[in-house]
Amino acid sequence: MTKRRMFLRMITASLLRRRSRMLIALLSIGIGATILAGLVTIYVDVPRQMGAQFRSYGANMLLLPKDGETLNSESLADALQAIPEDELVGAAPYRYVRLDMTTRQQSFTAAGTDFEQITKTSPYFSVEGAYPVKTREILVGKEIAEVIGVKAGSSMELTWQPTSSSSDKTPEESRVPGASLSGQAEGFGGGIVYVTAALDDQAHIASLSVDSSTQTPEYGGRIPEDEAFLNQFIGKSLPLALGDSVDALTGATVTSSAVVEALNKATETAVSARPRTLNFQVTGILTTGGEEEGYVFMSLEDLKTMTGSEQVDIAELSVSANAEQLETYVNAITENSGSVRARLVKRVARSEASVLEKLTALVFLVTLVVLLLTMICVSTTMMAVVSERRREIGLRKALGASDSSIRAEFLGEGLFLGLLGGVMGAVLGFAFAQVVSVHVFGSSITFQPLLLPAAIIVSMAIAAASCLLPIKRAVAIDPALVLKGE
Amino acid sequence: MSLLELKNVSKIYGELKALDNVSLHVDQGEWVAIMGPSGSGKSTMMNIIGCMDKPTKGEVLLDGVDISRESSKRLTDIRRDKIGLIFQQFHMVNYLTAVENVMVSQYYHSMPDEKEALEALGRVGLRERARHLPSQLSGGEQQRVCVARALINHPELILADEPTGNLDEANENIVLDLFAQLHKEGTTLIVVTHDPEVAEAAQRTIVLEHGKVAREVINENFGK
Ligand SMILES: Nc1ncnc2c1ncn2[C@@H]1O[C@H](COP(=O)(O)OP(=O)(O)OP(=O)(O)O)[C@@H](O)[C@H]1O
Ligand SMILES: [Mg+2]
Repeated sequence: MTKRRMFLRMITASLLRRRSRMLIALLSIGIGATILAGLVTIYVDVPRQMGAQFRSYGANMLLLPKDGETLNSESLADALQAIPEDELVGAAPYRYVRLDMTTRQQSFTAAGTDFEQITKTSPYFSVEGAYPVKTREILVGKEIAEVIGVKAGSSMELTWQPTSSSSDKTPEESRVPGASLSGQAEGFGGGIVYVTAALDDQAHIASLSVDSSTQTPEYGGRIPEDEAFLNQFIGKSLPLALGDSVDALTGATVTSSAVVEALNKATETAVSARPRTLNFQVTGILTTGGEEEGYVFMSLEDLKTMTGSEQVDIAELSVSANAEQLETYVNAITENSGSVRARLVKRVARSEASVLEKLTALVFLVTLVVLLLTMICVSTTMMAVVSERRREIGLRKALGASDSSIRAEFLGEGLFLGLLGGVMGAVLGFAFAQVVSVHVFGSSITFQPLLLPAAIIVSMAIAAASCLLPIKRAVAIDPALVLKGE
Repeated sequence: MSLLELKNVSKIYGELKALDNVSLHVDQGEWVAIMGPSGSGKSTMMNIIGCMDKPTKGEVLLDGVDISRESSKRLTDIRRDKIGLIFQQFHMVNYLTAVENVMVSQYYHSMPDEKEALEALGRVGLRERARHLPSQLSGGEQQRVCVARALINHPELILADEPTGNLDEANENIVLDLFAQLHKEGTTLIVVTHDPEVAEAAQRTIVLEHGKVAREVINENFGK
């Protein structure tokens, strides 16, 4: 038998045959290691958990149009390229429009958005019912739902009232799909010719009516009844040119020209889209505890159908990155994009970092305290073990044990305890962290394979450190005194 | 040839002279008994000879080395190499079996050798109890294990402090027979005892009184 095997035999015999005392030491190391392993697991997991928690209180970045620009899905998609895919939790576009509910003489703010993204950027939205999944479905804020008395399953009619257009629009922009136009121009002999027209979804002329009662009855005055003349305008886009896109009515060239001019001018000065009413199915009632409860939410597509525009006002982003990275993304987007500027939602982003810091510090502190307590506990137990074994130590010395072999034996026992305690700690600690995580954060954590060796090394180190003082005591024992035989 | 020589050795505890100017000479292979009333300094002397304590004054030559001047580390080495100890309270490591207790002595001395340890237990008649823990052994059996442990490393000198004090007649005889065997093999034996019968087994008896050698008796019947 080698010396090493005898050494191990003595140590294991000491632990296995002196169970009760060693069980206490093992328990204190094991419990310490359990709490430590648990805390460390949480410590590692907390930033992730906390990040998720904070993001659930709202987006941490906004995309806005630069001055004089408008946003749309494409420019947003371009801007999002700056953020790595795996860090982008969600990006919800919003467009806000006033809509009327004429049956109730109410008007609400309607938000056009992407519901799939909303669930990611605003996970705290609580929906009674379900999120809309297709067009003509809406989500109604709780406040509105209470006022007008709708619930999931109700239907409601919403109307978009075009606001009178501003005059500084260029004709190009005025060709709003679905708009109705009215205009006037001077015709033959100074008489005024009036036109009204409606545009279809592609901004082509859908219908046209002319009032030429000031014109010569048998020539220009005939235009309102001349279907062949009027029909040639249908399906054309503005502006028009007489003789090119449309032909003049024979004998009424001046009046024909006045009609074209009135149409072209109408696009410049008097654009106004016609109201659109759509019938929606309410799929759910939204509770957020915030101003969103005063909105109705619908798909961007429905809003486009009503207003004819696919403009977006703002996009809320939830990005899983630290404050520094967020800053670089913001700069990258603002620099690289022609129309989009990004901005951090400062309050949330900052508090996430500072609360995290505090929490990390707290866990660190608790870890330190537990470490200390464990050491005190193990140290005390080992101290008791040493005084309990005074005679044995004296005997070993009398039999020729050097100080270093006494040290090695006690350190060996301590390290063995540390090993057992570490294994126990890693397993129980993970379970402990799992329970905490599930109860506090509502999510489970994955086992870090590194936890096992780490827990073992740490608890062996603690055990070894705790043994230092007791070992000093053991080495100081005088065999002559102990063996005298009290 | 002289193995041990005490020259004017004193051990003083404050006012008390546990040993008072003791001189003593023990030859290689000699079997010496030490007697004396309680508190006369027998154990004190054994501790000094056993390299577990140092005298306040005087010289102790063991194999020509003055152990009263050595460092405690050196003393440990000397004790391990040359001395086998047997105590009155048959001290054993209570969580190790009989054979493991014997092997502890081998472990500190050189190499643990289970076979040799079992042979030593056989010599003291405990081959069958080798796997028993001390708590499963009788006092006499425990003391025999201690004898086996003391002789396992073939020490030049065996020091026994009241080895039979707690033993019955039968076990006392077993131990004395073992001593006789060891003596025949050339081991030097110093045995502290209160028991005149045990003292009579030795070649020479030294009587201590108040820390001094009161007298010395040569056993003329030795070996008969
Ligand atoms: N460490 C010590 N401090 C003070 N006095 C001591 C110490 N050790 C021993 N003595 C004293 O020295 C004297 C001798 O003690 P020792 O143990 O040598 O006696 P002994 O002859 O072995 O007695 P016994 O037969 O009872 O074992 C005693 O009076 C004892 O009280
Ligand atoms: Mg004594």
